[in-house]
Amino acid sequence: MVGRLEPLLALSAETTMLLLRCYLWKEESLLEDFLTDQDGTLAKVGLPEHPPSPRIETGDDTFVCEICYCDGSDEQFLALWCGHRFCSDCYRTYVRSKVLESESWRIRCPAPKCKTLVGLEPARLVLAGDTAALERYEENLTRSFVNDLSTFAWCPAPNCEYAVECQVPRSAWTTMVPAVRCRCGKAFCFGCKLDDHSPAPCYLVERWMQKCRNDSETSNWIKANTKECIKCKSTIEKNGGCNHMTCRECRHEFCWVCMGPWSEHGQSYYNCNRFDDDASKNARDSVSKSRAMLERYLHYFTRYNNHEQSARLARKLLAATEKNMEQIQREHTLSWIEVQFLSEAIDVLSMCRSTLKWSYVLGYYMLSDNQKTIFEDNQSDLEMATETLNELVENPISKDGPSIEEFKRLVIDKTTYVRTRWETILADIVVGLQENRWQFETE
Amino acid sequence: MAGVPKRILKEIERLHNDPVPGIDVESVNDSVRYFKVVMAGPSQSPYQGGQFSLELFLPEEYPMAPPKVRFLTKMYHPNIDKLGRICLDILKDKWSPALQIRTVLLSIQALLSAPNPDDPLANDVAEQWKSNEKQAIQTAAEWTAKYAV
Repeated sequence: MVGRLEPLLALSAETTMLLLRCYLWKEESLLEDFLTDQDGTLAKVGLPEHPPSPRIETGDDTFVCEICYCDGSDEQFLALWCGHRFCSDCYRTYVRSKVLESESWRIRCPAPKCKTLVGLEPARLVLAGDTAALERYEENLTRSFVNDLSTFAWCPAPNCEYAVECQVPRSAWTTMVPAVRCRCGKAFCFGCKLDDHSPAPCYLVERWMQKCRNDSETSNWIKANTKECIKCKSTIEKNGGCNHMTCRECRHEFCWVCMGPWSEHGQSYYNCNRFDDDASKNARDSVSKSRAMLERYLHYFTRYNNHEQSARLARKLLAATEKNMEQIQREHTLSWIEVQFLSEAIDVLSMCRSTLKWSYVLGYYMLSDNQKTIFEDNQSDLEMATETLNELVENPISKDGPSIEEFKRLVIDKTTYVRTRWETILADIVVGLQENRWQFETE
Repeated sequence: MAGVPKRILKEIERLHNDPVPGIDVESVNDSVRYFKVVMAGPSQSPYQGGQFSLELFLPEEYPMAPPKVRFLTKMYHPNIDKLGRICLDILKDKWSPALQIRTVLLSIQALLSAPNPDDPLANDVAEQWKSNEKQAIQTAAEWTAKYAV
């Protein structure tokens, strides 16, 4: 960029570079300002078109350093283009102290109110010999590049030193999640630096998180890991990723999410994933409106939280699966590549869990209409498929179950299906948000 | 006085030989870093006629870091809070190592002449200054008569 602008502006490389940094690398606004008001633009960096190379001088008896008051012809001093002279010792101390405050190109001439920037060249000159400070200076330069550019951000993963680039403009963040993946593997949202929350856009996520924090008292008891079996009332802790529960005591099979009997889930008509609006109307008749709102919130929160927990369990499952894969390898004399289908299935599961989790945030703020029903049908479809896949990989091989070949085929089929559903739904939500297909509740 | 930068000694010497009119700087217990200052309120301001005392401390990093200055006299001023702390750019991010004790004190004196209620430290005072300047100036003058004698 510097190379491109330098001849265009007829400036030295150093001045061009400092101008670009001042304009936070916005090439176009720099060009526009420069072409309308050349002097005013240059005044921002306090530099001429071609600043002379900095030189440390000596041999002037009239020299007095305004910082340490040393004087005489023996003193070495340096002046920027602005003419403010300071002895080289003070200059070094000054630049070093600024560098330790994480400054780099923004360091200005030490004279009061002087706007001249201590450019890269002079800074390197005065720091010469002080390797630690010089290294820190260069590091600050790089850091400020990432901080100043709106298309760059630091990876939020602990100990990760990479920066990530994202070209999605800020204006588009209301309809799509600027999800990025760092080289370290961390997937996060470029906008809010939280973990990737596709498909719910940042502003809804922010409201949702705020709400969850405010309602933490109520959500505390929901978060509690235990529920009671509806049939025998024994307390049950969920320690696996699947929602198909079987009570140890009475063998009652039910769905962990809606607590309804599991038998009704096999057929796809059971409304486990949506808040029944008719039911909520009845509720409004009998109890107060606020109670209904709380219930509505809890409905979405339970499902949101449930997917979050399941995702956590899926990570545990991954560890178990790796052992399983080794075992299958040994028992069935399969190669490493041939058992990879299991870890692929877990990957797809984790992605779906995350999408499902955030889709409930989207659903919570979405106003009821036909489009929402379609959205929820799609959601339900993905959810069902995800649960089936989860159950499949959780209990892989049993003696009386299907053979390994059969099992592998089942998992691969299901994984492919779930992945396709997931991709389709995610793409459809992005399109839907862009064309304002849904109405969202405003504050 | 070994270990004291030449800069500080020179500054003290200059303040002694060529004092600033209306500002009296005196070292506390012969310290070269801690000073008591008495400043006359500038004329044409509600602080006219008052003698305001301040304390000034030069930190170890001085002159790379700004001196710490605080009013000891109770002040009614939008940029000075109850504890006497002063909101002045050159005491913070606009500090330059080429500034001195002298220039800092002159800037503080100028701040008394020209309060800046748009960048307040004492919010209630700034509010009053903006909504009813006449009343605010009168209060400042009353406080001066009461505390700064």
